[in-house]
Amino acid sequence: MDIPIVDFHTHTPAWDHASWLAGTAFTPADFTAFLDSAGIRAAVVLSHDGLFHATPEANDRLAEFVAADPDRMVAFGTVNARYPGAVEEMERCFGTLGIRGLKIHPWLQGVSMHEPSLDPIAEVVAAHGGIVLCHDGTPPYATATQIAAFARRHPTVPVVLGHAGLHDTWREAIAAVTETANLYICLCGVPPYAGRQIIERCPTDRVLFGSDAGLSDQVGQAYAVARAHEITRWGVDEATLRRVLYDNPRDLLGGWPQ
Amino acid sequence: MTISGAHVLDAHVRIGASREAALPVDTLLATMNRLGIDAALIAPPERCIAYHNAEGNALTAESAAASGDRLRAYAVANPWRGTDAIADLDRARSAGAVALAVDPVLQGFDLHDGLLDPLLRKASEWNWPVYVRTGTPPTALPLPLASLARRHPDVTFIMGRSGATDFWIDAVPALRYAPNLLADTSYAPWDTVLSGFGADPAVGPGRVVFATDAPYTVPDVELQRILDWPLPAADRARVLGENLAHLLP
Repeated sequence: MDIPIVDFHTHTPAWDHASWLAGTAFTPADFTAFLDSAGIRAAVVLSHDGLFHATPEANDRLAEFVAADPDRMVAFGTVNARYPGAVEEMERCFGTLGIRGLKIHPWLQGVSMHEPSLDPIAEVVAAHGGIVLCHDGTPPYATATQIAAFARRHPTVPVVLGHAGLHDTWREAIAAVTETANLYICLCGVPPYAGRQIIERCPTDRVLFGSDAGLSDQVGQAYAVARAHEITRWGVDEATLRRVLYDNPRDLLGGWPQ
Repeated sequence: MTISGAHVLDAHVRIGASREAALPVDTLLATMNRLGIDAALIAPPERCIAYHNAEGNALTAESAAASGDRLRAYAVANPWRGTDAIADLDRARSAGAVALAVDPVLQGFDLHDGLLDPLLRKASEWNWPVYVRTGTPPTALPLPLASLARRHPDVTFIMGRSGATDFWIDAVPALRYAPNLLADTSYAPWDTVLSGFGADPAVGPGRVVFATDAPYTVPDVELQRILDWPLPAADRARVLGENLAHLLP
């Protein structure tokens, strides 16, 4: 199958603040070389440092990273809802930095999806037509139904389950996506048997793919290349796979990449 | 595909029909033949791990007996069944089982509630390795398994799935804490998790066993990951089979 991929879940290198789970350093050129090696046309690049320490500088560096090739990379920045100035920083991300979405990692950032402080931030995302992508699959702060409750509070914001429930909560993730119209599901880190079920049982136009690239201790992101290859071995028909790998993410990103 | 110089032993698959995935034995054997996997340890399907233990043990015993030494059987018994569980293990052993497989989530117990201990004493008596599926909070995690392993120091435990995925962060601390605990490779990228195992002086390739965890995975991809992992040939051979082979009769 020769299907271009829009990878909805990748990360920058960890530059300053990730004291573990950091992987190795790489440049934008290294990253686009990885995209080429994996058959990935374009990627959503998520904050990495900012998940450990959500600073404006982390968003600046993220924006600078994707600016190296805006035809192939878009950025989702992050803020910590408990930090002063988070709403203003979210506004700056969209208005000044050209960032397209918000990445939330509830267990790394220590924020529950039920915290009211997230709501004015989500309103900024909504005002800019942005997207929220949230780590999920990990109790007690990152379950699909918790994120779905957040999504229902903000029905105009597309909210993406960044990991489709991982190994343990993917059935819950299917239920949440099925009953929440603005909830999307990104096949990233789920085992193949669960991925097949998700594709079969979720609304097909809301299923995405992500490799989670950026965390490898190899510049070439070997595991991410393997994941991009592996999904073509799941036994999914080509038309459906094309929707998951390319059409759906492109639609969600407003026709990007062109 | 052939893997020269290595005896390849798959440490864990589940045969039969589970909830969302199935592995007929003929499919397993065909996959093993295609990939160059010499032997596999087989567990029964999910419902037989949870409840229909005797049926599951019969299925794995029959499949192993018919395989010409390609398949070796795990025994299963829900620890809630008390003395009946021990009797089931005894029968499974008589039928050829060589190891115990445990899944605290499917079987609904806590590694530290005491229910499993009588089964572990039998595993010790029979010199069986014990596979414990991990990754799911709160009852199937690497570090509680490590504490359990330290209470049963003469039993070798396999940390099934090595905490995949987010509890990979606990895998190395668990391995450091319990020297009688082995990691398994299923789902684990070589360039993050496995390289961490390999580089840790207290772990290393000598405490890692290859497993495809079929039918939940793409076995080709699980094997390829081990072949891609830059290891000396002797270490790769240990991961692919030698580490586990030492534990089996």
